Amino acid sequence: MTTSTRADFPKLDASPAPRLKAFLRDWDSVEMVASLLIVGLFGLSPLVIKVPYYLNMIILTALFAYFGLAWNIIGGISGQLLIGFASFVGVGGFVTMVLLIRFSVSPWIGLPISAASSCLLGAFVAFLTLRYGLKVDYLALFSLALMMILKIIAQELDITGRASGMFLSFQKDSLINMTFVGKVPYLYIATGMLLLGVVIQYVTCRSKTGRYLVAIREDEDAAAALGVDTARYKTIALLLGSAMGGLGGGFYAIFSTYLDPALIFGLAFNVSLLIAPIIGGKGTLIGPILGAILNKPLSEWIGGTVSAQRPGVTLVVYGVILMVFILFLPNGIAGLLRVPHERLRVRLRSTERLRNN
Amino acid sequence: MSLLKIEKISKYFGGLAAVKELDLVVDEGEILGMIGPNGAGKTTAFNVISGFYKPDSGRVIFADEDITGLRPDQICKKGIARTFQVVKPFAQLRVLDNVIVGALSRTSNVSRARSKAQDVLAFLQMSALEDQLAGSLPIASRKRLGVAKALATEPKVILLDEAMSGLRPTESQEMIELVRRIRERGITVLLVEHVMKVIMSLADRIIVLHHGEKIAEGQPQNIVQDKAVIDAYLGEVKTDA
Repeated sequence: MTTSTRADFPKLDASPAPRLKAFLRDWDSVEMVASLLIVGLFGLSPLVIKVPYYLNMIILTALFAYFGLAWNIIGGISGQLLIGFASFVGVGGFVTMVLLIRFSVSPWIGLPISAASSCLLGAFVAFLTLRYGLKVDYLALFSLALMMILKIIAQELDITGRASGMFLSFQKDSLINMTFVGKVPYLYIATGMLLLGVVIQYVTCRSKTGRYLVAIREDEDAAAALGVDTARYKTIALLLGSAMGGLGGGFYAIFSTYLDPALIFGLAFNVSLLIAPIIGGKGTLIGPILGAILNKPLSEWIGGTVSAQRPGVTLVVYGVILMVFILFLPNGIAGLLRVPHERLRVRLRSTERLRNN
Repeated sequence: MSLLKIEKISKYFGGLAAVKELDLVVDEGEILGMIGPNGAGKTTAFNVISGFYKPDSGRVIFADEDITGLRPDQICKKGIARTFQVVKPFAQLRVLDNVIVGALSRTSNVSRARSKAQDVLAFLQMSALEDQLAGSLPIASRKRLGVAKALATEPKVILLDEAMSGLRPTESQEMIELVRRIRERGITVLLVEHVMKVIMSLADRIIVLHHGEKIAEGQPQNIVQDKAVIDAYLGEVKTDA
């Protein structure tokens, strides 16, 4: 059985304008192209921007957009309330740093090992989640507790530098050690990772896996009744998100050149990981990217003005921002953008119907 | 020929037997109605069959295979689909995307699942709603969407949990027609219903539950004359009204 619109599809494909309309109607494609454009701008920015301070900001924006996408797969798309995402980032950071500093293993090898290590931690979390039915608030609390435990472990082990953490010192550029005096190489790596994140999320969302994850988020019982092995797909989301977090954590550590257990496994850093996807729009592709773009200058400003006089106020400001978004804009900036897009969609559809009739 | 057989199923919540030693046979191609007052154990029986509850004792046999204790998704793959009494649309997804999730149980190819979902929606005369967000649908369409999702999994048996409750008379008449057409497709229907009139006109056979036990079984016209049924169910309805 074919509907009239479907029968007319080949005709629509014939000229470019309807193809453009079909593209514009599809939010996923619009989001994907917009995201790629932003990634491209990040990649080209060194042509125009030379000041290290601003380059630094773009690197962090790209990186936190990437972290946002990583968390998004777990918390946004599959809807698992895993708050303590810094665990995966921190473990990834320490693995790459320990390998480089203690064993002289290149980060190019260290980063994939970081991803694998965090993925293993993700598997542990998935096992506990499913074995003991940790859902919603229990998972949130457990993930935060895990972060605290990891902090204490890192502060007690000699190999991770105990409480003082790890420092990476270098004098000259080294591609093998991923250490650079200038910012530009870091920017290319960070942009490359963001591109990877965008592609992973887009491909996931278009596939059966992505559709199943969203179904689980919307209603787990209804999904199970439709043949979705909820345990399996929730695990897949956790493994994927944690591996991505670990990879990013490894790079973040090398880029920062130091790793402090109290910071990386701390609440403030964890909040900075979640703020991009939450204000940008969780569960969307462009949301975490827009969130990071908005958040980075904002946090610089808060850090430079408010926090300079009253240390600790930063967290209060972030707390308020998060609350406002969670209460009034649960779908974030991307959710706002969807409203005009939906109107455009309806218009395109109705003109198409008219033509078909 | 029996397609689905339930043998001495019991399910306790604390000390209370929600379903007690229930026997049930669903024949291939029939519409079997299950009725009973509130708390009779109808939905519990559904949850046991569809794998949401593990029974404390007894077996569920489907197409000569013991499926007791399988997970809901495994049972769905075997060919038993269900709807929920309290509808569970994927609210933030479009109607078509809701149905695609069901169709993906038989294929991993999303575009094949999409055209399958479109077929199912056309069968349910819901093609016009394809593009709407499921959360924005009125209740009658939500109930229909529940049926669409279940049908998209290509079931041999469909369990409909109060598909007519909360509907207006015309809507409920449409749903009755729909159930008939589902059966014409060769799908066996097990129907839980509160509305007596609906089940009388639709079911080939009726099972009456009361306090988790089967108190009567038979043709609709015999059921309405059964003394136990009148006491347990119809009598109660009368005093309510």
